[in-house]
Amino acid sequence: MGMIYTIIGIAIATVLAGIGSAKGVGAAAQASMGVLSEDSSMFGKMLVLTLLPGTQGLYGFIVAFLMLIGAGVLGGGDVITWQQGMAYLGASLSVGIGGLVSGIAQGKAAVAGISMCAKDEKNFSKAMVSITLVEIYALLAFIVSLLTVISIPNIKF
Amino acid sequence: MKMKSVRIIALKKDRKRLLEHLQNSALVHVKHTDNADEGFVRTDTASQLKQFEKNAELMEKCLKILGNVAPEKKSILAGLKGRREIDSDEIGDIALQAGKIIGICKKIVKLDSQITDNISEQARIKTSLAQLEVWKKLDIPLNTGDVGSMAVFIGTFPKEYDEQSLSETIAEKAPELIFEVEIVYSSSNITSAVIYTPKKQKDKADVTLRGMGFVRPLNPTSKIPADKSKRLFKKSVDLRAKNEELRDEIAKYAEYRDNIRDTLDYFELRAEKYRVISELDQSEHIFVLNGYIPEDDCQKLEEVCKKIPSAIIEFEEADENAPVKLKNNKFAEPAESIVTMYSPPSHDDIDPTPILAFFFYFFFGMMFSDAGYGLLLVIATAVGLKVLKPDKPMRNNLKLFQYCGISTIFWGLIFGSVFGDAPVVFYKLFTGNEITMKQLMPWMLDTQKDALFIMIMSIGFGLVHVLVGMGCKFYVCLRQKKYMEAFCDTGLWMLMLIGFAILAAGMAVSHVLVYIGAGIAIACAVGLILTQGREKKGIFGKLIGGVASLYDITSYVSDLLSYSRLLALGLTTGVMAQVFNMLSTLMGKNIIGIIFMIVIFLAGHAITIGLNALGSYVHTMRLQYVEMFSKFYEGGGKAFEPFSLKTKNFKIKNTDE
Repeated sequence: MGMIYTIIGIAIATVLAGIGSAKGVGAAAQASMGVLSEDSSMFGKMLVLTLLPGTQGLYGFIVAFLMLIGAGVLGGGDVITWQQGMAYLGASLSVGIGGLVSGIAQGKAAVAGISMCAKDEKNFSKAMVSITLVEIYALLAFIVSLLTVISIPNIKF
Repeated sequence: MKMKSVRIIALKKDRKRLLEHLQNSALVHVKHTDNADEGFVRTDTASQLKQFEKNAELMEKCLKILGNVAPEKKSILAGLKGRREIDSDEIGDIALQAGKIIGICKKIVKLDSQITDNISEQARIKTSLAQLEVWKKLDIPLNTGDVGSMAVFIGTFPKEYDEQSLSETIAEKAPELIFEVEIVYSSSNITSAVIYTPKKQKDKADVTLRGMGFVRPLNPTSKIPADKSKRLFKKSVDLRAKNEELRDEIAKYAEYRDNIRDTLDYFELRAEKYRVISELDQSEHIFVLNGYIPEDDCQKLEEVCKKIPSAIIEFEEADENAPVKLKNNKFAEPAESIVTMYSPPSHDDIDPTPILAFFFYFFFGMMFSDAGYGLLLVIATAVGLKVLKPDKPMRNNLKLFQYCGISTIFWGLIFGSVFGDAPVVFYKLFTGNEITMKQLMPWMLDTQKDALFIMIMSIGFGLVHVLVGMGCKFYVCLRQKKYMEAFCDTGLWMLMLIGFAILAAGMAVSHVLVYIGAGIAIACAVGLILTQGREKKGIFGKLIGGVASLYDITSYVSDLLSYSRLLALGLTTGVMAQVFNMLSTLMGKNIIGIIFMIVIFLAGHAITIGLNALGSYVHTMRLQYVEMFSKFYEGGGKAFEPFSLKTKNFKIKNTDE
């Protein structure tokens, strides 16, 4: 039973955070392609700004991967209890939901940053820094999930 | 670097030579002022400037056209390459050739506009052809009017009819009308037809047909439609062939591409010079140039000016508006671009480059944290520097990543990551024995198992980083003799953060430290309450201002937490590498498995390097700009841009350091 909860958790971490990043990067990519159609020499800068909302998906994936290893889904290790399974499920919520919402929000910021950068290339560093301000919340969610996942095997239920 | 104001006075007849020397030596930043000093006049160079700019624009347009018609074979790395070196004599040759090149460019532009015309003509033909499509089977001209006693209606209905249904519909609407119908073309939403009626019923027929949505063709032709269509088609084919010819003709000029580039640079040079001339204060016989120069270069400028006997130079202390030139040692120099990307330092700022450089390399390494990737970075940049011999800005960028690479190797070794856990994975695949990275590198910190410790370490580094930033503020305030700000605003907060750090360390180590830390923090808090409201009026105002300032603690906490990204990104690199290593060994060690392994290993690590190098770069930059610069750095200075040869294609030997 614990394994099933864990697998649901793994899916939540990967998919929700992934949706956030996909939406964010998608919106940013659309905006940057609009800019590139006018001036293709900005490709490097646009690429950086477009990829910024991509980290959430990565964070979700890493938490999922650590759960795969920690709970022994890969290699079919120890049997885990249902309490541990629920704990993994709970741990996945943080990075999943946090990544989902912050990914979308960061995508919006990236779109604005891209149009700012398109007007004047000198704005690039300001745009970049402003977009990474959103990142901190994804990061906090990720760290919480991460620390929880790592300590679950040692928790006594 | 310290700046001096400089004033150069010389006879007007030496103007050309002096400016050429100055431009070649690239020492002086020309001061921009709107009006001449009293007793002097300015020369208006706007018309010459416009001419040069127009020529430069023409060249650029030509290069673009040539790029479309005859693309250059260029490697991706060509952009990194340094400019071609030429002798200063060659500039003269380029100048002589400029007229010829302008002629060629004009020809290219003309040919190109012919192509554009032809293309729009083709588009027009295409619409005509589409309109004629429905009349293809008609064997009389479209504009046929009345024939003898017969009125002829040629046109379309917006509906599908066949001969019978059309006749029936018309008969129904106008029973007394005598007519004959001939369908030329019919499809689901259009029917083209010819209708004959006696001339005396023409008006009647007209009204009836109109009522059914009958429309005559827009541009009726006097030719038979099929013929006309054939003719138009032939014309279109001819135009296409003609365009090919025109393109080939343009492509013939591709050999001049380098000459065009040189000439473009030449015109940019001239334009730059005339821009400076318009800044000169001139009288009848002499002219005056006002500018700024770095202190170290004063001697060089004197030597340059010795070549012009009439020139007199005066140096003065620079005013507040002086531009800023950063000067750093080899270690910090590459990071100058990171500082200027934010904003060059203002008059009051200290140059943050050395501090930024150290932390930039340090944090980048910690986030990228893989010895294998670091080694690749170092090798790639070393090869780039050696082979491409790039110009200064690019050279500095490559060096920046080289230093980052060294730091990455260092952190990779600490975190026990060499292409992730590749050594372990391959050892197991080929020998079947288990081994861990910990056995290979007993000193390592495991990012996954020791995550909590590494996070505390990251925040610790963050504390140091923030304190260094505040230390800079402290120093700046002292330099400006703002002692209250230095000790009360910055010093107390620094002490308080240190107090908290001791307190936190004490919780792990001993109770004594807890008390010491708490003592310091409380003392500082009291100090802050007493001093922070000092600009408010009344005792209560002062107290409330003081207490409210304690709220700033939240911003320090969020700054420090922000450094947990050092752990997060470091972990990301490690885990992604690990995932790809695992995937690459999935197929076992037979032939197919090995091929699969090589492909996945290379592609996977390429992805990991791309994503994480980008992430590390961006987030390191953010930590510098947001967390550290916000503590002390004002920015807003003007960068030192000397009057020089701003060329893209060539550089003149022995002038560009």
